[in-house]
Amino acid sequence: MSISKTTDLLDQLSQLERSVSEFSFEELSVDEAKELKNSFNTFKSSLECQIFDPNQNSDSLKKEPLMVLDKQEVSQKEFITHVSHEIRTPLNSIIGFANLLKEEKLTSSQQKKVEAIQFASNTLLKLINEVLDYSKISSGNTSFESIDFKLHGLLNDVMFLCETLLVDSQVELIIDIDKSVPKVIKGDPSKLSQVILNLVGNSIKFVNQGFIKLGVFVKEVNENDYVLEFSVTDTGIGISKEKINSIFERYSQADNDTYLKYGGTGLGLSITKEIIEKQNGEIVINSVVSKGTTVSFTLPFSKGDVNNISVEKTKNLDIKEAKKLLEGTEIMVFEDNLMNQHLILEQLTKWGCNVHTNVTLEKGLAILATKKVDLILMDLKMPNLNGFEVSKAIRLNENPLIRNIPIVAFSADFTEQDGKDCDSIGINDFLLKPYTLNDLMSIIVKNKRENNPNEEFGLILQKQMIEPKETTIVDLNSLLKDCFGELEMLNELIKLFKTNVLEFIGNVRIHLKTDNLVEIAFSAHKLKASFAMLKATGMHNLILELEANCKANKLDKVKELYELFLNDYPLLENNLNIDLEILNKK
Amino acid sequence: MGKRVLLADDDQLLASLLNFRLKKGGYDVHHSSNGKEVKEYLKTEMPDIIVSDIMMPYFSGIELIDFVRNELKSNTPIIIISSAGNEQNVLSAFELGANDFITKPVSPTELLVRVAREINKI
Repeated sequence: MSISKTTDLLDQLSQLERSVSEFSFEELSVDEAKELKNSFNTFKSSLECQIFDPNQNSDSLKKEPLMVLDKQEVSQKEFITHVSHEIRTPLNSIIGFANLLKEEKLTSSQQKKVEAIQFASNTLLKLINEVLDYSKISSGNTSFESIDFKLHGLLNDVMFLCETLLVDSQVELIIDIDKSVPKVIKGDPSKLSQVILNLVGNSIKFVNQGFIKLGVFVKEVNENDYVLEFSVTDTGIGISKEKINSIFERYSQADNDTYLKYGGTGLGLSITKEIIEKQNGEIVINSVVSKGTTVSFTLPFSKGDVNNISVEKTKNLDIKEAKKLLEGTEIMVFEDNLMNQHLILEQLTKWGCNVHTNVTLEKGLAILATKKVDLILMDLKMPNLNGFEVSKAIRLNENPLIRNIPIVAFSADFTEQDGKDCDSIGINDFLLKPYTLNDLMSIIVKNKRENNPNEEFGLILQKQMIEPKETTIVDLNSLLKDCFGELEMLNELIKLFKTNVLEFIGNVRIHLKTDNLVEIAFSAHKLKASFAMLKATGMHNLILELEANCKANKLDKVKELYELFLNDYPLLENNLNIDLEILNKK
Repeated sequence: MGKRVLLADDDQLLASLLNFRLKKGGYDVHHSSNGKEVKEYLKTEMPDIIVSDIMMPYFSGIELIDFVRNELKSNTPIIIISSAGNEQNVLSAFELGANDFITKPVSPTELLVRVAREINKI
C-alpha cells in the first residue's frame, strides 16, 4: 500500500475520532446503539481480515518468487507496526471520551451504550497491543536473555499463577517434571514463563472439566546441552484436523465463532510460536475434537550452575518473617496486565498486605484521598496513561499525603533513559521484571512509608467506621445545573457550603458542653438543606436523624451521630474536592 | 429596571444560589440575612415581592408576615421558604397572609416560576 493511501486512511480514522467525540450519545436509541456496535465490530473484523490475514492476498502472492514474498513480508510488518501505532492515538481518544461520558449522569440505557463502546474499543486496543507485541518479536526486535535459573521454581510459580486464573472450575492442574530434567538451567526464564502462561492460559479458556497437565522431559542431551520438551495437555474442546494447520497463523482462531464464545484476539499462539522459533525451538500441536489438545514444544538450554544464581535468589523466603515486616501495609498497584495483577495480588496478600489493584489514575487518586497508602507499585508500560504519566500526576497532586507516597516502578526492560525519567519525576526505586519474591519484599520494606505519628493523627478523622460509603457521597451535577453551568458560581457555593459545615461543627461543640439539644437541633435543621443541595443523601439522612434525636432528647445518640459525622465528613469533603476539581478541569 | 425582590434568608449557601438565579432572571435583588436588617430595610423600601425563610434569627418569617401585613399594611406578595416537617408553621404563615410557600431543598427554577406567578397576579 502506498504511503499516501495510508495517510488517507489515517486521516479518515482521526475524522472518525472527531465525530465520536462530538457525537451526542443521548440521542441514541437502543437499536441505534446496537447498530453502532455491530458496524464497529464489522469494521474491526474487516480490518483484521484485510491487514492481518495473509490468505486474503495469497492468490497474487503465490505466483511471486520467494524473495519478493520475503520483501513483502518485511514491509508488511513495518506497515503493521506503523498502523498499529497510529490507530492507538485516535483509539485512546475514543476510550478517553467514553470514560468521561460514563462519569456523567446517564440513564441506565445510556450507561449500557457507553459500556458497549468501552468494551468494543478496549478490545480493539488489546488487539493492537498484541499486534505490536507480535511485530516486535517477529521483526527480531526482542532480545533473549541467557541466565541461570531454577526451572522447578519457575514452573511452580507459573502454575500457581494459573491456579488463580481458574475460577470455580472443576479443572485440575497437574505438573509432571521428569527426574532427569536438570534443576538449574541457563536460558531466558521470562520468555519461558510467557510461553507456558500463554499455553496453559489458553487451555484454561477451553477446558470446563478434567485436567490441564504440564509435562517436562529431556528430549536430547549432549554433555551440557539439553533439549527439553514441554507439553501442555488438556481435556478441552479440541481443534479439528483442518484447523490445526492454520492455528499458528497470525491472527487466526480455530473457528470464526471462537472469539464469540471464548474471546481472545488470536495472536497469543503466533507470539508463542515466534518466541519458540527465535530460540531455535519447535512447537507442535495435536488435538482430537471434544477429547482435548496437546501442545508440545522443545527448547534448547544449557545446564546451569547454581552458584551463578545470586545468593539472594536461592535463599528461601520466610513467610513468617515477611509477614512481620509487611503485615497491614497498604499497597496500590498500577498494572494493566491481568495475570501480573493476579500474581502480585496473591503474593502481597500472602504477606498480609492490603492491596488495591485494578485502578486507573482517577480511581487511584480517589482511594489515595481517603486511605493511607504506604507504597505504590507502578508498571511503566501501560496502555493509555503509562507509568511515568500516572506517577507525574501523583507527584503533582495538591495533597501532600498523596504527593509524597513512595513509588516503585517495575518494568521488563529498563533503559538508561527510563532511569533518568524516573529520577526527574520522583519515582523512588525500580524493580526489574521478572523479579523474585525476595526482590519484591526487600524493595517494599526499603521504600514503604514509615508510620509518622503526625500523619496518623490526621488520619484518625478519616478512619472508616460504620457504613461510611453512603454518607460520603456527593453529586454536584444538579447544583451545577442550577448555576447554569457557571463554575465560578459553583465554586463560590462550595466555599459557602464548607463554611456552613464548619459553623455547624463549632455550634454543636459549644452546645454539647451544656447539653443544649434545642440549639443543636436548630443547627442541624439549618445544615440539612446544604447537604440536600449537594445531593449528599446519606449525610443528609444522618443530619435528619441527629435532629430527630435532639428532639427526642436522646443525648447519647446525638453524641454518637455527631462522632459519625466528624468521622465521615472529611471523606465527603474529599470526594467533593475531587469532583469539583474534575469539573474545573473540564 | 427589573422587579425588586427582597430575599430574606440566613443560609448564605441557599441565599447565594437564589440571589444568582433571581438576578439571572432579571430581578433586582436585595438580600438580608437576618430579621433585624429586613425590618430596617422595609421601613424605607417596599419591594415588589418578598421571599423569606421561615426560620431566621431575631425575627422569624412568621413575624415578618405579621409586620408587613399588619404594621406596614402592605399587600406585597410573600413567598415563604420552609423545611419539610414544618407544616404547622406554613399554616400559620398562610393565616397571616403569606401568598405561597416552597419547601427545602429549594429548586431555584421552581422558585422563579412561583415568583413570576405572584408578580403577574398584581
